[in-house]
Amino acid sequence: MTASATSTGATSKQAPLPARRDALGSARVTTRRRHLSDRRGALASTVLYVVLIVATVLSLLPAFWVMVSSFKTAAQINTGEGFWPTPLTVQGYIDAFTQIHLQEYIFNSLLYAIGGTIGALVVAFLAAYPLARFDFRGKAFLNVTFALALAVPLVGLATPVFFIVRELGLFDSKIGLVILYAALQFPFTFVVLRSFLQSIPPELEEAAMMDGAGYFTILGRVVLPLSRPAIATVSVVAFVQIWNEFFFANLLTVSAENQSVQLALAAFKSQFGFNITGALAGATIVMLVPIILFLVLQRQVIEGLTAGAVKS
Amino acid sequence: MRFSAFLSVAPAAILFGTFFAVPLVVLIATSFTSWSGRSLEIVGFENYQRMITDPVFAKALGNTLFYLAIGVFVQVPLGVGVGIVLALKLRGWKTFRTLLFIPFVISGAAYALIFSMFYNPRSGLLNSILASIRISGRDWLFDSETARWAVAGTFAFILGFVMIVIMAEIASIPRELYEAARVDGASELQQQFLITLPLLRNAIGTCVLIRVLADIGMFDLVFILTAGGPDDATVSLALYAYRAYLQGDWGYANAVGTVIIGVGAILIILVRRLFRIGDR
Repeated sequence: MTASATSTGATSKQAPLPARRDALGSARVTTRRRHLSDRRGALASTVLYVVLIVATVLSLLPAFWVMVSSFKTAAQINTGEGFWPTPLTVQGYIDAFTQIHLQEYIFNSLLYAIGGTIGALVVAFLAAYPLARFDFRGKAFLNVTFALALAVPLVGLATPVFFIVRELGLFDSKIGLVILYAALQFPFTFVVLRSFLQSIPPELEEAAMMDGAGYFTILGRVVLPLSRPAIATVSVVAFVQIWNEFFFANLLTVSAENQSVQLALAAFKSQFGFNITGALAGATIVMLVPIILFLVLQRQVIEGLTAGAVKS
Repeated sequence: MRFSAFLSVAPAAILFGTFFAVPLVVLIATSFTSWSGRSLEIVGFENYQRMITDPVFAKALGNTLFYLAIGVFVQVPLGVGVGIVLALKLRGWKTFRTLLFIPFVISGAAYALIFSMFYNPRSGLLNSILASIRISGRDWLFDSETARWAVAGTFAFILGFVMIVIMAEIASIPRELYEAARVDGASELQQQFLITLPLLRNAIGTCVLIRVLADIGMFDLVFILTAGGPDDATVSLALYAYRAYLQGDWGYANAVGTVIIGVGAILIILVRRLFRIGDR
């Protein structure tokens, strides 16, 4: 199973076969037999394309329509006439920052996503290394317990988590949410990092040990640099998940100054009458953050998610 | 070395203990109490008895299982289908993969906003599309006949995650298997059904598991889109527990929370058995 996780990256990087590339460019009969979809038959590939197009429209149309609508005037949005903006306006985007103050929520969400990701990474990396490398009593227990957390629907724990956060004096505070998000992202980060660490050979660490390097020196100087690809992968996933998280942000904050972009989005919905263009522009910006991250770091996101899915 | 390793696991143990282990113990223990966060009184199984007799709980359980069924029987099969098609690497497959994955990285709150517009009876896109083919629309989200379906429609077509898991798994199938089948005269379609599909058992099982886990705790969409209405037609277990929490009825909220985690655990074990996850 582990092999499949890493092979996604390999497939996406795979260059198309040279023969196939020729076939794409020319319609000459000589290259025909090499072309996969030709052999499959024109009818079959037409059917497959129709399937793909229908699936894409079904899953993307509503979000795309809302993004397009963020450039419409309030009057056009409210009448629902026409798919494209006539006239086109960026008033919504101006309102999102000057009236809704989206930048304040973006700042909070960035803080939660970056802080929570770093927290989860540090804690998970420190724990993953000994649990991947050494044998000691309680190791199997810890490995299983940490991984089992992935099988718990966290919303079930709402009240006890609220209670604990309140008793720790962390309710409705930025640091409280950063710590909570570090905790929530810990199991996934741990599972992926641990199985990555198991896959790297221990020789380098042994050599460093011979040279008299201590545990934390080895961890920081040898293991950490080797783990960069896995760290990159889990970081993107953790960042996006925290950026998108709603339930605990809603549970654990009340004041506007601590609210995340997702809470702002939920509030827009009830304030439709008040500034719909600003709300749609805001929603578009909030959606675009993970979308752009995904487009830029596609390979890491896909690897991270499949690795997590397969290993848990 | 030993001490360092211990030191190195300690932060994880503390974080895990504080936010997973202790809450889980508190959750189950207080589900047998009447608790408001301050005063606490042991009431035995009273919360659970009350749950069984509350018709809203029955609705919440039914709706949650409905959402879960849409996830498992609509989203997963469609995702598997799209994953198999994309793994054939038709021209432009990467573009489709990117486009189909985008909805997966959009948050539940954004989805709620998108669909509250999409379903809007006056200005929504759905009704204008239907009007153009002369079908009269409705107020999908606030008509108790259609509300559940409208909520399910928001996530049923988010295929990205299942798609990439399936594509990763197909990439790991040795090409020789297909070569051998082709030599034996198997058609493309036969190859997909006889080779690919059986080998995807584990990956499909994993997708079902993840769906079960996500849908058993369905909250964001329902809370923001409909707040559980109309007439509790869309309420989920998590939202039902949240309402009890808001009323300071924490013992009862935790009994519902225990049921969410318990039903989740049972379903996870069932799915693992069914798909024989773990053994190949």
